[in-house]
Amino acid sequence: MSTFAPPLDPARALEVAQRAVRDCPADAVEVTVLGRAGEYTRFAGDRIHQPQDITELTVSVKAIVNGHAARAATTSLDRVAETARAAADLARGRAAAAGAPGHATVGTPGPLPELSLWHEDTAAFDAGARVALAGRAMRGGAEVGGVAAGMIGRALTQIAVATSSGTAVHAEATEASGSLTVSVDGGTAHWVDLHRSSDALRAGDAIDAAVRRALAGRGRMPMPDGEFTVVLGPQAAGELLGFLPDVGFSGELAAAGVGVCTDPGARRASELITVGDDALAPVGLPIPFDFEGTPKQRVPFLQTGVVGRPVTDLATAAALGETVNGGRSTGHAHIAREEVPSPVAANIVMPAGPTPEADLIAGVERGVYVERFWYTRLVDRQASTITGVSRDACFLIEDGELAAPVDTGRFTQSVLGFLGSVDGVGDQVRSQPVMNVWNGSVSAPALRGSGFRFGNRPLPDGQDS
Amino acid sequence: MTAHDWGSLADDAAATVLIDSALSVADGAAEFADVRLIEGEELRLYSQLGADPDERREHTMGIGVRVLVDGTWGFAARPVQDARDAETAARQALATARASIGTSAPVHLAPMAAASGRYETEVAIDPFAVDASVRQALLDEVLANATRPAEVVAAQAGVNAKRQHRHVGNSEGSRQHQHFLETGAGLLANAVGHGDVQRRSYPNSFHGNTAAAGWEYIATLDLANQAIRVGEEAVALLTAPMAPAGNADVVIGAQQVSLQIHESSGHALELDRILGDEANYAGTSFLSVEDIGSRRYGSDAVTITSDPTIPGTRGSFAFDDEGTPARRTRLIDRGILAATLSNRDAAGRSGQQLTGAARSDGWAYLPVCFATHVYLEPGQGSLDELLERMGDGYYIDDNRSWSIDNRRWNFQFGTEVAYEVRAGKRGRLLKNFSYGGITPEFWGSVEAVAGPEELRIFGYPCGKGEPKQWGFLSHAAAPMLVRNLRIGVA
Repeated sequence: MSTFAPPLDPARALEVAQRAVRDCPADAVEVTVLGRAGEYTRFAGDRIHQPQDITELTVSVKAIVNGHAARAATTSLDRVAETARAAADLARGRAAAAGAPGHATVGTPGPLPELSLWHEDTAAFDAGARVALAGRAMRGGAEVGGVAAGMIGRALTQIAVATSSGTAVHAEATEASGSLTVSVDGGTAHWVDLHRSSDALRAGDAIDAAVRRALAGRGRMPMPDGEFTVVLGPQAAGELLGFLPDVGFSGELAAAGVGVCTDPGARRASELITVGDDALAPVGLPIPFDFEGTPKQRVPFLQTGVVGRPVTDLATAAALGETVNGGRSTGHAHIAREEVPSPVAANIVMPAGPTPEADLIAGVERGVYVERFWYTRLVDRQASTITGVSRDACFLIEDGELAAPVDTGRFTQSVLGFLGSVDGVGDQVRSQPVMNVWNGSVSAPALRGSGFRFGNRPLPDGQDS
Repeated sequence: MTAHDWGSLADDAAATVLIDSALSVADGAAEFADVRLIEGEELRLYSQLGADPDERREHTMGIGVRVLVDGTWGFAARPVQDARDAETAARQALATARASIGTSAPVHLAPMAAASGRYETEVAIDPFAVDASVRQALLDEVLANATRPAEVVAAQAGVNAKRQHRHVGNSEGSRQHQHFLETGAGLLANAVGHGDVQRRSYPNSFHGNTAAAGWEYIATLDLANQAIRVGEEAVALLTAPMAPAGNADVVIGAQQVSLQIHESSGHALELDRILGDEANYAGTSFLSVEDIGSRRYGSDAVTITSDPTIPGTRGSFAFDDEGTPARRTRLIDRGILAATLSNRDAAGRSGQQLTGAARSDGWAYLPVCFATHVYLEPGQGSLDELLERMGDGYYIDDNRSWSIDNRRWNFQFGTEVAYEVRAGKRGRLLKNFSYGGITPEFWGSVEAVAGPEELRIFGYPCGKGEPKQWGFLSHAAAPMLVRNLRIGVA
C-alpha cells in the first residue's frame, strides 16, 4: 500500500515554507521543511523483528530580529503559522535582552548544482523486495550454522528552504541502505552500504559474500598487541575519515583556533590522501543545499595530503572572515538534537585509488586486515587520537595473504598519523551512514598504512601488566 | 504542582478517541495491536563563546501503531495532522506485517494483564513559563565566569526543557496517559595552550544533566559559581602532569561511575541485545539467558537496581512504552546477575521475567530495551572516608572518552580529571587519565561504594535501534573504590 511519496508534494512543501516566511513578523526569516518517508526491514536470527514504515515531517522557522535569531519547529502543518510567530517572539525577546545588534543572517539565493537524486530502482525497492533480501540473509546464515542480523531499507528524503531574501528551493532524494552482521561459530562478517540507487548496493551479492567471510573467520585467535602494517577495508577506512571534522575540519573549531585547520597548506597526510566533503559526488548521499538553503560546495580537507579548509555555515563563515572560502558558507549548516547547531560535514568522500584490495593485501609481508571498527571515540583532538576496537572479519596478513582470523582488538591511534603512512588506496568505494547527522554519509576505499598500534599503551619499563 | 496544561493532547479523553480509531482498524485483522500517541515540545537555549546564542522550541505530534499479524510484527508511524492519520498508520502497520509473513518466525509476547492509569511529573516551576530573559541572563553569567581565563577559547552552556503527553493503548484493553516534564542544563569549557587542548564540564560531561523536574532543578546546580571552577580547572589541566600508566587503586567519582554503569551494565543487561536483536547495530552482550540467577558479575559490594518508580529521575515513569507498569527490579544482587532489562517480545521469547524496560524516543520509533533509572546501590561512608580507605592511588571523575566492544566486555574510558591520592589525601591534579578492563573483572574489583550522602543522579540520552533512536534514562551512583585497576591505557 506504500506509494513511496515524499511527506509533502514539492509544490506544497515550498508553499508551506513561503507562507511561513510571510507569516513570521521578523526582520528576516528562514523556513526549512524536512520530510522523510522511510521503510526499514530489520531482522535478526529467524525473525523480521522490526518492519517499519515511518513518515516524518518537520517545519522549522528561524526568525531574526535586530540580528538575533531564534528557531521554532513543528510537525503539525496546522501549527506552522503559530510556530512562525513563536520564533519571532523568541527572537524579539532575545533582541530586547541583548541591547545591541546580533550577527544572524539568512542566506541569499544561488545557483544549485544538478544532481541525480531520484532513482526508479529505489522506488521499486518495496517491502517485498526487502523481505526477500532479509530472508536470503537469514537463510544464508542458518544454512552454514550461523546467525544473520541486519537491516534493509529505503527512504525518500525531502528538503525545502524559503527565506525572506528570496531563496525558494526544494529537493527530494531516494535512498537505499543495507547492513548485515553474520556470525558463524565465532567468526563474524559485516556489510554496510548506502546509495541513492538500490541497484548500486548489489545487496544480494554482498549478503552472500558476508556469509562466506563469516565462515572464513571461524576459529579466531586473540589480536596480538603491537604495531602493524594494516589494510583497512572500506568501512574501517571510512570510520577513520569520519573523524576529520572532529580534528579541525569544521568551521566552529577553526573559528576557535583549534585543530588542524589552523595550519592550512601544511602536509598532514600521505600524498595518496585526497578527501573532503562532497555533497555533489555520485556516491554517498548527495544533496544540493543545506538547512539554510545555501548551495553545497565541495570542500577539500586533505588534497594530496595537504590541509585544505573547513566546512562552514552562515555563522561560522562570518566568524572566520574572508580568509576562509571568501567568507561564504560552504553549505553545511546543521542542527542536531541535544547538540549546539554547528556546520557538519555530511558527505565525506575519498575517491577510489588504482589498487584492488587483494593487491593491497598482497603487498604486506606481516600485518592485519581490518574490516570494521567499533565504538570509536575521540581521545585527543590536538593529536587526532581515537580509540576503539576492531570487529568482524579481521585477519592476520602473512606473506601477502589473509591468514588466521583474529578477535576484537583495542587500538588507540592518531588518525592523521595513520593517514600519513598510507601507501596504497583501494579501487572500490563503499558508503556508510553517519550517526546523528541528517543525510550523513562517509564513503571510502580500502587503505593500506603502517604503524597502527593494537593493544594498550606500553607500560613503563619494569612494570608488569 | 504539575505543568502539563498545554498542547493538543493534554486531554486524555480526546487522545483515547484517536487511539481507539487506530485500534479499530487493527481489530480483527491483527491478534495484537498497540498505539502510542505522543505530543512533545522541547525548549533549548545554547550560548557559545564567540557566537550568537541559539534558542529553539520544537513541537512534535504523531502516532505509532504496532501490530502482530499471524505472529509477525508490523509498525507504522506518521505525524498527526488530523484524525485520519491514526487509521492510516494502522493500515500501513498491517501492510508492513503482511509483507513479512512466511519469512519471519512467529512472535510470542510475554503475557500481561491490562493496565490503565495516569501519571504526571511533579514540578515546582514550569520551565516553559520562565521568561526567556531569565534563561539568557543565567547563561550569560555562566559563560562569562567560565571564560575568565584567557586560555578558555571555546565554551558553551545550555539549558533545556522537554514536556510530553504520552498516550498508550492496546488491543488487550490497556489505556495509559502519562505527562512528563524534564529540565536540564550543561556547561563545557575548552582551554588551549602549551600545545594542548583540555576540557572540563559540569554537571555531567555527557550532554549536561537532566532531571524529571521543573526549573527548580536548575537552581540546585549553582551553575554560575561552578562555571568559575570549570574554567579554572580546564586551564590548570593544560600544565598538569600526565597521568601514569600501570596498575593502581582508584576511587572513581559518581559521574564516571554512572557512565560505567551505563556502558558496562545497563547495555549489557538489555534482554533484546542478549538475544541478538541488536547484533548488527548496537551490539550484543557477553551475558546469556542461562547466566541469569547464577553468574557472578561483580563483587559483593555491587548491587545494581532498575527502579523507574523513583520520581525526579529521567528514567522514571508509571508505564513503559508498551504499557508495562513500572516496577523495581534488582538486576545485580550483591554481585550475582539476577535479572535483565526486558520488553514483552524478548521476555516472551526467552521465558524471562518482564521488567518493563521497553522504551522509545517518540511516536516514530518502536520500543526497544533501554535502561530505566538504573543505579548502583550506595554503600557506606563519605568520599573522604573512601579515599582514606584506599590510602595511595588516584581519584578520578567526569568522563572524557568512552569505548567498549560490541559484547560490552572490553572497555576503555578516559576522565577529564584525576588527582593523586597519598595516605588518603587528594594531591596533584593530573591530565589524560585513562583506564581499561574487562567488565566482570572490573566490577569484581569493586571493594566499596560510598554512602547515600554521596549519591548523585545523572540523566542520559542513549542511542540504539535501526533507525537509531534516543533513549532517555538515568543512572545514580556514589563514588566507588576499585582495586588494582589497569590505568594509562590510551
